[in-house]
Amino acid sequence: MDDAEMTMPTTDTKPRRLRPDLIQSDLLIGAGLLALAIAAPFVIESKYLIGQMIIGLFWASIAVQWNLLFGYAGVFSLAQMALFAVGGYGTAMLSIYLGFNIWLAILSGAVVATLVSMLVGLACLRLEGVYVALLTFAIANVLYFLIMTDTACYRMNGTTCLQFTGGAAGFSRFGEFGTRALLRGDWVIGNYAIVLVSFVLTMVASWIIIHSPMGLAFRALRDNQQYAVARGVNRFHTQLLVFGISAFFTGLTGGLYATHFQAIGPSVFSLSTLLFIMAIAVVGGVGTFWGPVVGTVVLMIADEVMRDLGQFRTLGLGILITVFVVALPGGIVGRIAAFRARRQARQEEI
Amino acid sequence: MDVFVAVVVSGLTNGALYALATLGLALVWGSMGMLNMAHGAMLALGGYVVFSVSTTLGLPIWLAILAAAAAGALFGGLLYLLIVRPLLRHGGRGFETSVMIATVGVSIALQNAILLTYGGQPLRQPFAFGGAIQLGQGVMPLLNVTIVVVSLLVMAVLGLLISRTRMGRAIRATAQNREAAQLMGVPVERTYLQVLGLSGALAGICGVLLSAVTQLSPTLGADPMLKAFIMCVVAGLGNLPGAVIAAFGLALIEAAVQFSFGARWGFPVLLMLVIAILIWRPTGLFGRATIRRM
Repeated sequence: MDDAEMTMPTTDTKPRRLRPDLIQSDLLIGAGLLALAIAAPFVIESKYLIGQMIIGLFWASIAVQWNLLFGYAGVFSLAQMALFAVGGYGTAMLSIYLGFNIWLAILSGAVVATLVSMLVGLACLRLEGVYVALLTFAIANVLYFLIMTDTACYRMNGTTCLQFTGGAAGFSRFGEFGTRALLRGDWVIGNYAIVLVSFVLTMVASWIIIHSPMGLAFRALRDNQQYAVARGVNRFHTQLLVFGISAFFTGLTGGLYATHFQAIGPSVFSLSTLLFIMAIAVVGGVGTFWGPVVGTVVLMIADEVMRDLGQFRTLGLGILITVFVVALPGGIVGRIAAFRARRQARQEEI
Repeated sequence: MDVFVAVVVSGLTNGALYALATLGLALVWGSMGMLNMAHGAMLALGGYVVFSVSTTLGLPIWLAILAAAAAGALFGGLLYLLIVRPLLRHGGRGFETSVMIATVGVSIALQNAILLTYGGQPLRQPFAFGGAIQLGQGVMPLLNVTIVVVSLLVMAVLGLLISRTRMGRAIRATAQNREAAQLMGVPVERTYLQVLGLSGALAGICGVLLSAVTQLSPTLGADPMLKAFIMCVVAGLGNLPGAVIAAFGLALIEAAVQFSFGARWGFPVLLMLVIAILIWRPTGLFGRATIRRM
């Protein structure tokens, strides 16, 4: 197959059957990356760097879920950051208003995100691709708008008025992991461990879904919808299910994010955050399993480099994502896979 | 009575603005299946070009408005040549989503370029002027009347262009069936270039009118673009007359809700309404159920 014919969501042109060697290679890559991730805090001295790695893990988790949704299931949702925010806000509000224990609050936040995603999914997923994108985008914007314009006093803190939704300022200081009391100076490493565990959970869950019968179903839908439907795959049910699962893990990440920073505000809704997540998936390779991980590493480094450019950072990010979509449609991992497939084909010819 | 006049004035003004923004989106969607996420940034571009040409260079306002339309058309053309054409040549199926992501990138880049050039503080747009007509107990600002009249004129010109000229016939033919049009000798690539240029010019003019009622800021196009999307969806993506009707109808409803329940609830109510409509008719009010090529 010619490179120029490759289109973005179908980078994975060869169906990834459950072949033992593929499981093995994914397992090997995963074990290697995990070993690196576990070794990192013992090698890296800089607290700043560990902090950046935590942020990277957050972005990677969201990108993995978005990739599952878009790259595999073909649901082009732009509400990903909104669901992330619901998880974070849920965590904050449950622990402030109802006095939930922080772990319970994080879990409940994820459940709330799942419920919200079900509502959104019921409203949107009956529609076709671009309609879904537009409606989810609009819903995310309405949520943001309602939080930002919330000025009614719900409770008073001294003389300042606090809104039920936190308003433009958001929430802060509602709980922590408890790593500060346990590890003192090394609390960042404790947080890193917690976030890493959640990230591994996210990866494992998405791997299982992709390789389960459900994964086959939604890849069938993506590749030839009419044929898949004729074979008894229910598009709406399958997509709604994936939407909910992905929302659960996205909400979980949101709760951890809020607890790690001890703050959550409306800025997580911003288009540039969503763009960053999309850029991670696109640069790494949409519809490839390791794409979001590779994309996160590349973009975190690019972001760090562009930090020196100061105000040109967002401009650079916008140009970067456009150039990648136009010049490298399969992303980095997609390009590597295509290269390997071609080499293999050549070897088979010989 | 004065509330009624206020609702109608605000609804019609916003409706005219939304209609122009929606037409630009619907034109591009209808002919090439492309959702231009950079449309909002192109509205901002139009507004700032007027500011530069009129306030900074001191040239007459009509020249500035023409310059805004030209800048929009130029940007649309560049968008086609640099991004859309390569993506179209990659092949069809991923196009819908990849062009969306690419134009989100363009939108962020353009907004930031404007921010870096002009700064973030809101600027007053030279096209804005005062004066009002007394209408019973309500007032009708002259600016709003001008906006509605100019928008209707632009729409009429666009309508003539699409229905009467050779270019318009090529655009309609390509929208109906790309392959058939190509076989009949329609230069499809040039038609696409014209469509994006036309949509850019519309965005430029709409940006001028829009920034006259609000103010100039790099993100001024974001909110109208979002609503234009909604209106496009309600009308059925790509349906031009439907888009205009949906724009005016929804703008009037939005204004009524805003006046009776407060400004915050205008958009949420609109969205609920749209979702209800889409559950009832998944391809929009005026959309045809299309047969998708697999």
